[in-house]
Amino acid sequence: MFSQNGLSLDQAPPISVVFRFFALGALFGLLGGGLVFYYQSAIFDAASPAALTLTHTFTLGIMLSFMFAALFQMLPVIAGVKLTAPVSTANFLLYPFAAGVLLLLAAFNMPQQSWLFGAASLLLVPSLLWITLLMLSKLVRLRDHSSSSKGMLIALLALGIVLILAFYMTLSLTGYLEGSYYPEVRTAHYSMGLFGWIALLIISISFQVIEMFYVTPPYPKLVRRYLPLTLFGLLFVTTVAAFWLPQLWVLSHILTALLLVGYAVLTLRRLSQRKRPIADATVWFWRLGLSMLLLAMTTLVVYKLTGTALFGNLAEILYPAFALSIVFAMFYKIIPFLTWFHLNAQGYFAAPMMHEVIHPKTAMKHLYIHLTTVVTFLLALFFAPLLFISALLTILSFGWMLWQIVHAWRLYRHTQKTGEKFEMNIA
Amino acid sequence: MREIGIDTRALEHPEPLVQATKILQGLTEDSYLYMLHRKKPIPLLDLAGEQGFQVLSREDAQGDWHILIAKDPDIDLEALLRV
Repeated sequence: MFSQNGLSLDQAPPISVVFRFFALGALFGLLGGGLVFYYQSAIFDAASPAALTLTHTFTLGIMLSFMFAALFQMLPVIAGVKLTAPVSTANFLLYPFAAGVLLLLAAFNMPQQSWLFGAASLLLVPSLLWITLLMLSKLVRLRDHSSSSKGMLIALLALGIVLILAFYMTLSLTGYLEGSYYPEVRTAHYSMGLFGWIALLIISISFQVIEMFYVTPPYPKLVRRYLPLTLFGLLFVTTVAAFWLPQLWVLSHILTALLLVGYAVLTLRRLSQRKRPIADATVWFWRLGLSMLLLAMTTLVVYKLTGTALFGNLAEILYPAFALSIVFAMFYKIIPFLTWFHLNAQGYFAAPMMHEVIHPKTAMKHLYIHLTTVVTFLLALFFAPLLFISALLTILSFGWMLWQIVHAWRLYRHTQKTGEKFEMNIA
Repeated sequence: MREIGIDTRALEHPEPLVQATKILQGLTEDSYLYMLHRKKPIPLLDLAGEQGFQVLSREDAQGDWHILIAKDPDIDLEALLRV
């Protein structure tokens, strides 16, 4: 459609950057499925190497990859932040990050090889801190902030804190530090990671995309302005205060849960106020994710109040189900759009339409696979052999996702090779 | 000067961008796109600016965005803006 050169690299996120982070996340997802096969019901013991390995496969390998894919795509589009040389920037992050995650997972399973923690830290902490600071510095310098860009800034700040706390822990595990504050730091690390980073980034992006993608009324100003700050403030104050008063985390987790319940209910309400009556798979992924968040936070509060392990385990399954549902919703919006957009920008007027890149029925099938996966994990708490099916479905779910990426990439390359270009003839 | 107007305020993403790019393909020297949108469409503005189009975007008091895009660099888009 447009000039032969298409968009310059600093005008839009290169398609390969977003694709490779999504692909990396999907590959870690396949690994996650394999780990469930391997560890079986040991994953339900939160202190076991099995649970630690699977948790970090999810939070680091899967979620962080997907969230960087979303950030590389969303920062220029919804915050107007341009990352210079995004391909080399992404590569500086991608390779040390992937290697670092694999080393960390190995370290959890070979605690006697403490050097593995050190090696993982050397790869993960500098690369992740560097990209976090880079994105933060761009966001800080923005003149016109939206609630989304402000929220992203706060979420990245939380990620920075998560990384510093993680560094303390790995230094303790390698013996470089005494680790006197290890239990306090550990609680702060996972609380800030799960709620300050993952939830806050999803909330910030949703302020923009729920209204934009689904034509809903905007979130109330009060929520947009104060929810991210309140959530982060609560977690930050607790992180500091809990060094003297560790029990404070119980109250903080309950308050966090209440805030997130409020957010989930409000967003579900917004989605019910859509002007368009037809709901595609991405709307259902959002609805599923928010319902999972609602249930996860409810079970978390019950666990905190009663100490019943079953509720803790339920929250541990439901919370990743929430985060993954939202990731899948974003994935099925981003990949077809990017493929179409980049081909159009390069002048291929026969570029495939978005429904030709990923058919809506394909996304709907993934929704059923994902839902069944979550249900089997929940039932496995009562009947452990079901974990075989959960593992198989996890592999199917991420394999499905990976195939969509490969398919979209092949379509993109095929159009570039064979497609006819349109001349705009602009001076 | 011929106005090609589209009101995309009730359309779900990315339909506004799809419609606007289709119009830009056929835009002539004596026509311009006048688009109404709920949000500032950064990808469209980037794309049009990159291709040498003249672009003007302005938010009105209701929070809607008025986007004007012309092929002719001499068209006074400010004069055509209804904000």
